[in-house]
Amino acid sequence: MTNMEAALSQAAILTFEELGFLFPTPEFKHEDQDGVKDGTVCVHFRGAFSGDLLLSLHGGLLPLVTANMLGEDDAPARETQEDALRELANVICGNALPLIAGKQEIFHLDAPRQINSEEEQSLLTNLPTATVYIGLDEGRADVSLFLDEELTPAQH
Amino acid sequence: MSFNMLIVDDSAVMRAMIIKTLRLTGLPLGEIYQAANGAEGLNVLSQNWIDLAFVDLNMPQMNGEEMIHHVRKNPETSQLAMVVVSTEGSETRIASLKEQGVEFVHKPFTPEELRNTVIRITGVDYDQYGSGAQSGGDFDF
Repeated sequence: MTNMEAALSQAAILTFEELGFLFPTPEFKHEDQDGVKDGTVCVHFRGAFSGDLLLSLHGGLLPLVTANMLGEDDAPARETQEDALRELANVICGNALPLIAGKQEIFHLDAPRQINSEEEQSLLTNLPTATVYIGLDEGRADVSLFLDEELTPAQH
Repeated sequence: MSFNMLIVDDSAVMRAMIIKTLRLTGLPLGEIYQAANGAEGLNVLSQNWIDLAFVDLNMPQMNGEEMIHHVRKNPETSQLAMVVVSTEGSETRIASLKEQGVEFVHKPFTPEELRNTVIRITGVDYDQYGSGAQSGGDFDF
């Protein structure tokens, strides 16, 4: 695992644990969880470096984590789930960037936005700088980081 | 005595999480107002007495930093107790916010972190509120 993947993984696990009360599946292989995609959001950021963070949830994870965040038993409305997905991406991105760039750097995050599969495919024509797959309950979270330019060795 | 609260965050889910946590603290709550950005937050403040405001930073229309600036400039609200609840990880930016007299709670937060910050700001004596307050151990969230 690269330093950047470790940063994404640490930020995502912390976020799902503390906001969603979900803990990562040990020794998870993403090939083992190919459930339907629940949704994808993108957060654009600018600062010491700029780029996008993409968060996709699969296999029924989105209604589960939303219900956990709200302390509800039943799956909340789709609109509420989309709000939760945007907030999760915002928190993961906000926590991952200082792990990569250091705690003195200031980043500006745009509001997370839902993207459709066409936009996602368009973004994915560029290889992500780092991607991690995290198993949570019966589902999966994919977190990818796309940087607009390569980092210098000092930024890695 | 009860405390009127204002929660300013563009995520309705995050506002609901903060409110739920506040209710679990056992703090004597009065009215709880919500706003989706800094401009809405200022509007609520202009019409209601608020004891404590929780403010996100990254929001559309007017962000949290701008809102804090307006609140501190207005003599009627300059002393308002404020807590920034944000993903902000830059120590430089956090230090700048604290210079404006705001507390900081980092997202993701545990219920205990939010509760302890509220206790520190309000000076609430939890023993005074008896069984309603969960003064120790974990929250059943």
